[in-house]
Amino acid sequence: MKKKFPVISMLILTIIVFLCLACGLTMTKDPLYMDLAHCNEAPGKEFLFGTDEMGRDVFSMIWYGGRISLTVGFLATLISTMLAVLIGSVSGCASARIDGVLMRLTELILSVPGLLLTVSLQVVFGRADVYSLSVVIGLTGWMGMAKVVRTEVVQLGNTDYVLAAKCLGGRFFHVLFRHLAPNLFPSVLFMAVMHVRNAIVAEAALSFMGLGLSVEVVSWGSMLSLAERALFSRAWWMIVIPGIFLTGTLLCLTNLGEYMRGSANKRHSNLG
Amino acid sequence: MDVLTVKNLSVSFFRPEGEIEALKNVSFTLQEGEILAVMGKTGCGKSVLCKSILKLLPDIAKIKTGHVYIRGEEITGYSEKQMQGLRGRFFSMVFQNPMTALNPCMSVGEQIGEMVRLRHPELSGRERKMRVAELMELVGLDHAGERAGQYPFQLSGGMAQRCVIAIALAAEPAVLFADEATTALDVTVQAQILELLLKLRERAGMSIVLVTHNPGVAARMADRVALMRDGELYRIGDVEEIFEESTPN
Amino acid sequence: MWRKFLRNRHLIKMVNNIGKFLISVFVLSVLVFTLSRLAPGDPLYAYYGERVEKMSVEEQDQARERLGLHAPLFTQYVRWLQRAVHGDFGISYQYKTDVKEVIAAGIGNTLLLGGLGFVLIFALALFLGLFCAWREDRLADRIVCRIGTVTSCIPEFWLSLLLLLIFSVWLDWLPSSGAYAAGGGSLSDRAVHLILPLSVVVLGHLWYYAFQVRNRLLEEVRADYVLLARMKGLSGRQVLYRHCLRGALPSYLSMMAIALPHILGGTYVVETVFSYPGIGKLAYESARYQDYNLLMVVSLLTGTLVILCNLTAQLVNERIDPRMGVRSASAGGEVRRL
Repeated sequence: MKKKFPVISMLILTIIVFLCLACGLTMTKDPLYMDLAHCNEAPGKEFLFGTDEMGRDVFSMIWYGGRISLTVGFLATLISTMLAVLIGSVSGCASARIDGVLMRLTELILSVPGLLLTVSLQVVFGRADVYSLSVVIGLTGWMGMAKVVRTEVVQLGNTDYVLAAKCLGGRFFHVLFRHLAPNLFPSVLFMAVMHVRNAIVAEAALSFMGLGLSVEVVSWGSMLSLAERALFSRAWWMIVIPGIFLTGTLLCLTNLGEYMRGSANKRHSNLG
Repeated sequence: MDVLTVKNLSVSFFRPEGEIEALKNVSFTLQEGEILAVMGKTGCGKSVLCKSILKLLPDIAKIKTGHVYIRGEEITGYSEKQMQGLRGRFFSMVFQNPMTALNPCMSVGEQIGEMVRLRHPELSGRERKMRVAELMELVGLDHAGERAGQYPFQLSGGMAQRCVIAIALAAEPAVLFADEATTALDVTVQAQILELLLKLRERAGMSIVLVTHNPGVAARMADRVALMRDGELYRIGDVEEIFEESTPN
Repeated sequence: MWRKFLRNRHLIKMVNNIGKFLISVFVLSVLVFTLSRLAPGDPLYAYYGERVEKMSVEEQDQARERLGLHAPLFTQYVRWLQRAVHGDFGISYQYKTDVKEVIAAGIGNTLLLGGLGFVLIFALALFLGLFCAWREDRLADRIVCRIGTVTSCIPEFWLSLLLLLIFSVWLDWLPSSGAYAAGGGSLSDRAVHLILPLSVVVLGHLWYYAFQVRNRLLEEVRADYVLLARMKGLSGRQVLYRHCLRGALPSYLSMMAIALPHILGGTYVVETVFSYPGIGKLAYESARYQDYNLLMVVSLLTGTLVILCNLTAQLVNERIDPRMGVRSASAGGEVRRL
């Protein structure tokens, strides 16, 4: 029983990513231009998704800001994944003592609430821009993944085929690349996809709270940071539209990740 | 009178990759107090036969044709609810691997007690405990009081199988299915368990369907033997008859 | 007698665990302290605001001296630790009162929100998990799973905004912020203020845990003992309640322990959006306005809770599950390494 490939999710995701990357073509207006004559305008013919309180065109901001949100998600994931694989496999291969220290440290960092950790680190880095925010989110997200990588490495190291490979005289790197890497790949891929999701949420939440990207840097999160004032002016489009794009992207990523996690349970229920 | 009659039973598994016929036109009868050995290689449909009579197969398995009667009454079309009334009263079953058949998170006393309670809801807590101890003694588990509080992982395979048999007996069934009940056990324990089953047949007068792939076990225990191959029951007869013609020379 | 005392396995384990706990908290405090002092931004500003610019250099120096911001990092830490051990965590630069008082004012609100959320989440997760496992792969299960996946993908802050838009702006049924109306504080008033934040906390976490309960139960349902239980004449639902639930219980309990700080931490965002006066809002404000004394204590508090809960989860796993005996026996022996 193989899981079905999430065609619709993949399709929507591809469209969103493509339109964001090609935002030069999709934008109908300059997303940064503040058209003060048209502030807080509801969606209509000229402004497809309306305008925000500074008169910027929401439709154009969605694609332009989406590119930044996706960039942060991707960069942060790249950093976390590299860190996680590095630390996880070192921990899994090293002596019990080093392994113990590394894992305790990982658990310790894991014990600081994620939001606080991100905020404190961001404070160290100073004012947030796309790159520093990516680095911060990346640096705070590797722990869970590293633990899983370590477990996989230890488990794989205990399997008989790796033992057999070693008995046949396989060298360390041979075993690593020939046997460990292919086995590690699916679970790392799954977690990486999930991490893109988490990073996008983190960026959005931080920017929304005013701790991440500032309002001038357009992203889905920073667009939503105007939402609190939009609540009072009843500018629902400022809340609903960026949120739908954000949630839609997250949902598609989740479905994709679930698919990559691997095949479903093969055994049948005994419950009848 | 026949306790159990199976007529032209066909069962298939419907998998995404296609239909797999597990039983083809199987017919046999089982008499009161009789031991019928069902023999055949692994995968020939012995287990499926037991489970399809009890309707314990997963959703993807369907009975395509055939009839099952108990004491002359047809039960083929029984609903799950009606089957629940038969399981643990009329039928009972001993499984192949006692270590996985017992719930690992429940003490064995509790698991036997549960069956006693289902069969005799009128018993008080104390009476139930006594009945559990009685059953445990019957299947040869000493120190019943202490044993009752133990968990399956604290028992050896043989002892665990005795517990499963005690559960089966607590149901006071008319028909007991023993699905490879001794295969997972070592030889000496195997002999003890078989001896126990014979003794219990005498005392409780129940019929036993003994599923096995071991001719020695069948020859020693059974009154009649049924032979299966690829989902077909191709030969059934008295134990002497079967073994005489199948042994060379 | 001493020897017997020392040989007591449980005692050794307990001492070991307490030691682990203390070391973790210590390292955590070092981490938090260093991080907060590495941060740019002058705490002096947070304390005196714009007045700093009007002060002369000497005055600034004196102020720094008074606040102990002059000494090297290590000395500062030791001094801070000494005072912390005596229960003195310094003053909040922003609120200009004892940190303890600031926290004491908010902790009740957070515990109310988080605690209620926690109880609701786990009661509902168990119910949903059982329901979905019972109806596995049938229509009802699929629908619940779909809805669950969607809700788990909605970011908490956006859900808060959406609910605010619908229920307090458009329909005007529920208040949009605070824990009680000004001057109010009656029980019903507090309840009305709790509805929206609580809904967000519950919806934000529910499916994650319900899904785990479901999957754990689905594993149990595939075990052989289910056949024996059904052989006894139990119905599918009875098997699920009486047998499978027991197998899933240890992981359910340890999940609860691990979840506690996550759910309390999850109230941070919600509290901020709803201006709910709790620890989360304090943490947010202290990070924004660089009120490091406060931020440190909040971080320490939450971190300690996490460490404590993780330890509990581990103990629960070891104690409750009767199978642990077999598992450790089979998993024992040397771990081969690369």
